[in-house]
Amino acid sequence: MLIPRKVKHRKQHHPKRGGAAKGGTQIAFGDFGIQALEPAYVTNRQIEAARIAMTRHIKRGGKVWINIYPDRPLTKKPAEVRMGSGKGSPEWWVANVKPGRIVFELAGVDEELAREAMRRAMHKLPMKCRFVVREGGAI
Amino acid sequence: MSEIKLVAETRTEFGKGAARRIRRDNKIPAVLYGHGTDPVHVTLPGHDSMLALRHSNALLSIELDGKGQLAVAKDVQRDPVRNIIEHIDLLVVAAGEKIAVDITVNLTGESAPGTIHLVESQTLSVEAEATHLPESVDVSIDGLEAGSHVFAKDIVLPAGSSLLTDPEQAVVLITEPRGEAAAEEGEGEAAEGAEGSSEG
Repeated sequence: MLIPRKVKHRKQHHPKRGGAAKGGTQIAFGDFGIQALEPAYVTNRQIEAARIAMTRHIKRGGKVWINIYPDRPLTKKPAEVRMGSGKGSPEWWVANVKPGRIVFELAGVDEELAREAMRRAMHKLPMKCRFVVREGGAI
Repeated sequence: MSEIKLVAETRTEFGKGAARRIRRDNKIPAVLYGHGTDPVHVTLPGHDSMLALRHSNALLSIELDGKGQLAVAKDVQRDPVRNIIEHIDLLVVAAGEKIAVDITVNLTGESAPGTIHLVESQTLSVEAEATHLPESVDVSIDGLEAGSHVFAKDIVLPAGSSLLTDPEQAVVLITEPRGEAAAEEGEGEAAEGAEGSSEG
């Protein structure tokens, strides 16, 4: 699973949820992609589950790119604990995904197989997504 | 490809309010500049412009106040979620002038069985005459074995174009796919290592 090797601060504020993706909105490496249509915190477990769903379906051949990285820790207080006494302990690692962001890319397979593999991957993600195909050379 | 005619209107009001009003009327705000002239702010018809920009490196004939001007799209701003064109930058060109454009790499044929191709560079930068801009270039990968590369210098460019990209730049790489088991094994080990170090 994806996890930062070293972080400057173990506990951080919650990442901002507003706005649209500033970059990473075009397919950069592969031929097909999954584009987020809603903001979401995507955990490293969800990224891994989506990757496995995709690679198991394409079986052999093809290459998958993961364009997001879960670099933000979210904390949680234990159950039945009174408020105060400091911030909870880090519980999840999440990627802060904004609408328009290309989350995964895929190459080396035909469109039909890519569409089905990515449909399976989308079911593992916490936000609405769509399948996108690289547009040839348009600016 | 022959030029595509678009009828433009001069823009008199600016800012996001005016731009949004233009977009509501199914038009696109645009700017026309180049050849040392002052930029001209115009409005283009939405649907026709969208169809014209489906061709990469399309040569546009912009009709403004009864006068025609040749131009190419230099930059197009799109909304990534709604997939609409928000603004177009048009570069004025003259017939016979040579300009730098990016052309798409189209792969033809199939590499050797059991291999996959990775396109390292999806576009090539070339210099060509403004009235004869190529849209794409075909690159054959027929029968190429794993480990072979196609470099920019190996590609036969369309007539009248010269390469601006580094000739030694790899465009296509043929490789063997990693099996699912191998991929999961490798990534599993990496994740375990990372978890150990973060806790420590």
